[in-house]
Amino acid sequence: MDTIAGTKPTLTWAVHISVALLVVLWLFPTVGLFVSSFRTADQISGSGWWSSMFPQERQNPAIRLSGEELQEGELFVISGNVFDGSEAAVSLWGTSSRAPQAFQPGETSELSRDRTVTLEVNGDFRFTATESQEGKRLPRVFTTATTPPDFTLENYDKMLFDESNIEGMARAFFNTLTVTIPATIIPIVVAAFAAYALAWMEFPGRALLIAMVVGLLVVPLQLALIPLLKLHLNIGIGKGYLGVWLAHTGFGLPLAVYLLRNYMVGLPKDIIENAKVDGATDFLIFTRIILPLSFPALASFAIFQFLWTWNDLLVAKVFLIDATGETTVMTNQIVELLGTRGGNWEILATAAFVSIAIPLIVFFAMQRYLVRGLLAGSVK
Amino acid sequence: MKNVLFASAAVLALGAGTATAEKLTVFGPWLGPDQDAVEAVLADFAAQYEHDVSYVGSDSFEQQILVDAEAGSAPNIAVFPQPGLATDMASRGFLIPLKDGTADWIRENYAAGQSWVDLGTYAGADGNDQLYGFFYKVDVKSLVWYSPENFEDADYEVPTTMEELKALNDQIVADGGTPWCIGLGSGGATGWPATDWVEDMMLRTQSPADYDAWVDNELKFTDAKVVGAIEEFGAFARNDAYVAGGAGAVASTDFRDSPKGLFSSPPQCYMHRQASFIPAFFPEGTVVGEDADFFYFPAYESKDLGKPVLGAGTVWTITNDSQAAHDLIEYLQDPGAHEIWMARKGFLTPHKGVNPEAFGDPTLRKMNDILLNATTFRFDGSDLMPGGVGAGSFWTGMVDYAGGKSATDVAAEVQASWDALK
Repeated sequence: MDTIAGTKPTLTWAVHISVALLVVLWLFPTVGLFVSSFRTADQISGSGWWSSMFPQERQNPAIRLSGEELQEGELFVISGNVFDGSEAAVSLWGTSSRAPQAFQPGETSELSRDRTVTLEVNGDFRFTATESQEGKRLPRVFTTATTPPDFTLENYDKMLFDESNIEGMARAFFNTLTVTIPATIIPIVVAAFAAYALAWMEFPGRALLIAMVVGLLVVPLQLALIPLLKLHLNIGIGKGYLGVWLAHTGFGLPLAVYLLRNYMVGLPKDIIENAKVDGATDFLIFTRIILPLSFPALASFAIFQFLWTWNDLLVAKVFLIDATGETTVMTNQIVELLGTRGGNWEILATAAFVSIAIPLIVFFAMQRYLVRGLLAGSVK
Repeated sequence: MKNVLFASAAVLALGAGTATAEKLTVFGPWLGPDQDAVEAVLADFAAQYEHDVSYVGSDSFEQQILVDAEAGSAPNIAVFPQPGLATDMASRGFLIPLKDGTADWIRENYAAGQSWVDLGTYAGADGNDQLYGFFYKVDVKSLVWYSPENFEDADYEVPTTMEELKALNDQIVADGGTPWCIGLGSGGATGWPATDWVEDMMLRTQSPADYDAWVDNELKFTDAKVVGAIEEFGAFARNDAYVAGGAGAVASTDFRDSPKGLFSSPPQCYMHRQASFIPAFFPEGTVVGEDADFFYFPAYESKDLGKPVLGAGTVWTITNDSQAAHDLIEYLQDPGAHEIWMARKGFLTPHKGVNPEAFGDPTLRKMNDILLNATTFRFDGSDLMPGGVGAGSFWTGMVDYAGGKSATDVAAEVQASWDALK
């Protein structure tokens, strides 16, 4: 007894620590994505998100001087701040790409044609020339500066409020809901009936049917895309919501039937037999007894199916999105935001967090059923 | 989008009662600013011809057009970024031939007209060659981008011959710098920037006839001429001193990130060879013509091959027959259709009848001059090869090559994959 009592706390600690580690490991990419969604494209390609949260000393790309020209006696002077007022501290600077760290703050760099530049620690500059610089290219300064963390809401603004984008985004959002909700409900309804029949009704070939459903679980949906689309077009459904609901239903059913059947089979036999003795029909048993008892399994499958239809791009592209552009979904809209050559990572990061909102609400609303339902399906 | 909506609303209002108004769907590869531009062009078409036009862009155009065509739900007009795929589609009977006389029009009005006709002519399902594709919007690929001020700071001259360029490479290294930024990463298409290099090198070391033979596989990949062109690329990309991050970084750097090294401090590199679209990936606020500029990727003075230019373009095809689709092809022959996009960004055209003043900025005009001054113009070879090679083994082969595999091995593998397709 002693040994058991003694080892238990350490074991618990080991479990806790490994769980914490796993959680951190699991969350790590998400945190990175979240931080990146507040950074501009240049910042993302310039430095890692982990270094963006602390003040950083680094060599900045060249900044071209700009400002209004004033005449002071013989000299034409332009002054201003290279950082546009953000708090950065220059440690070294230069005016040539060959020697970007040639000067200390406060020193003056002599350029060709009697021009000079002086740069202060806070980024204030003073540029002088003996002739007017109007219409000419002003010099660049290279700074090595410590810059405070700099985050922006620009990406979210572009994603959610940008004029050119908002119309498409709103339409995509409602289209996605139009796809997702029926595509979640239809397979659950069908699968619940099927699962009851497979679990509690005696008929010849039942075992074979169950085996077939399990077999269908391993068929990849990519295999069926084109034949199914051809079928849809032949029977006149075409590309549209009905087609995509049917496709999602078909692709979701094997797992749904399997999950629900396994759960229902585990329900106490006595209740059902008692009901039968009392004269209840199969339909009554199903609606009054099985359905309420199966709620955790139904909910857990609903979460699965919802998340997966919400995140789906492939099925939507094949069965829904046509050349009219009216039927787009969130995932497709996000892909389009990436641009013709797909380089806008900052938009991708932001889009991930915008589109995650609805699935998160669904998940937190129903998550207490998820684990229960899953376990119940597997352990008799 | 809005423009199109307004325009189509206007068209609906105007065209109410006329029997000619048709709904026309256009499917292409453009998104973002390019999409705005193409929609502006289509809105003008809609206004002139009183059709109701909608454009949809997709980043996975090549896959989706196949799915749609297979399933019989193709748009009216499909705009292919690669003629290779259009050839495949034509041979399977998915494309509708353009009207008679279009070929003659192209011959007369496009610079190097016959080559554009050839590029748009494919064998149909019945095996007969017909004109299926109309080229509209062209890219020039033989460009080297650089920062003029970095060149001034270091006293470098823009090279006008390949010999000078190679001397400049060594001079930059001697001065402690790195001449090139090269990145091949591009998701599923990783490797394509290297195929452009090899094509450019092929044009600079071999005759145009050899280039055409190579594209048709009459000249095998394993031929010493092709292997030589691959090694010419290797002389740049596989030299640790020549490439920012070392030769090992070439295959793993994303092509969209690689030009940013031109603008870092200190500069990671001085030159970047890429097509005319690349300024879209320069850091925000970069002014082309001031902060960044380009020069023609020079040819060997000693080889007497003139000034070859490598380019690409988008080919407009009819995938679902309708009068409006033929009207659109006709509209694209109007100089006005070219000038609308010229006034925006990233558009070059071989149309001789357009007003060069219409270009939105002087750099575009400079690029068009490179196009017009070319003694040889050749289309991106990998786009013309069969998809399995040009968008498959050639890409992956070049990644292997950048990773250290020998040129002969890579060439043999690409050739084997081509033989397997025959």
